[in-house]
Amino acid sequence: MTKLLEWLLGVSLIGMAWGLVTFDLLDLQLPPQYRELAWPMPVYLLVAFGCYSLATVGYRVATFNDCEDAAKELQAQIKAAKADLKKKGLKM
Amino acid sequence: MATGADQAVGFGLVGFSLLLFTYYTIWVIVLPFVDSDHVIHSYFLPREYSVILPGVAALILLLFVGTFIGVVTWKNRKPKKSD
Repeated sequence: MTKLLEWLLGVSLIGMAWGLVTFDLLDLQLPPQYRELAWPMPVYLLVAFGCYSLATVGYRVATFNDCEDAAKELQAQIKAAKADLKKKGLKM
Repeated sequence: MATGADQAVGFGLVGFSLLLFTYYTIWVIVLPFVDSDHVIHSYFLPREYSVILPGVAALILLLFVGTFIGVVTWKNRKPKKSD
């Protein structure tokens, strides 16, 4: 069983469960609050995943280490390379 | 740690997504179990909008992405060479 098939199976099982509850296909007569809770679930999970992604990206931007020494060294190397290439005739 | 603007933007994103998640969770998950005459319902739109608004936002995002790709592709078109 490939990963794709596993995911598709999982998604379709959950999708069927959601469909059964939302459209009351088995006449389960669930309390109305649970039906109210069920029908926005796909959109809710998508929004929750989006919020998690945004928070993860933001957190990693905020905690990414600045490397002062490496930055200075790189700038010096860029200057040296530019001077060298200019000497050899490359127009910048 | 990153400094200055990076930190501000990063933690701003974290704060914004936490706020959004909390508001949306209360709207979708908590409100059905709260009595319909409680005052908290006045802070939330009718339930349909909890699905319509993210849908509209997704459409607008797709529009932006598509327009951006279109503009960049248009700017980088090169004239055909005729042999």
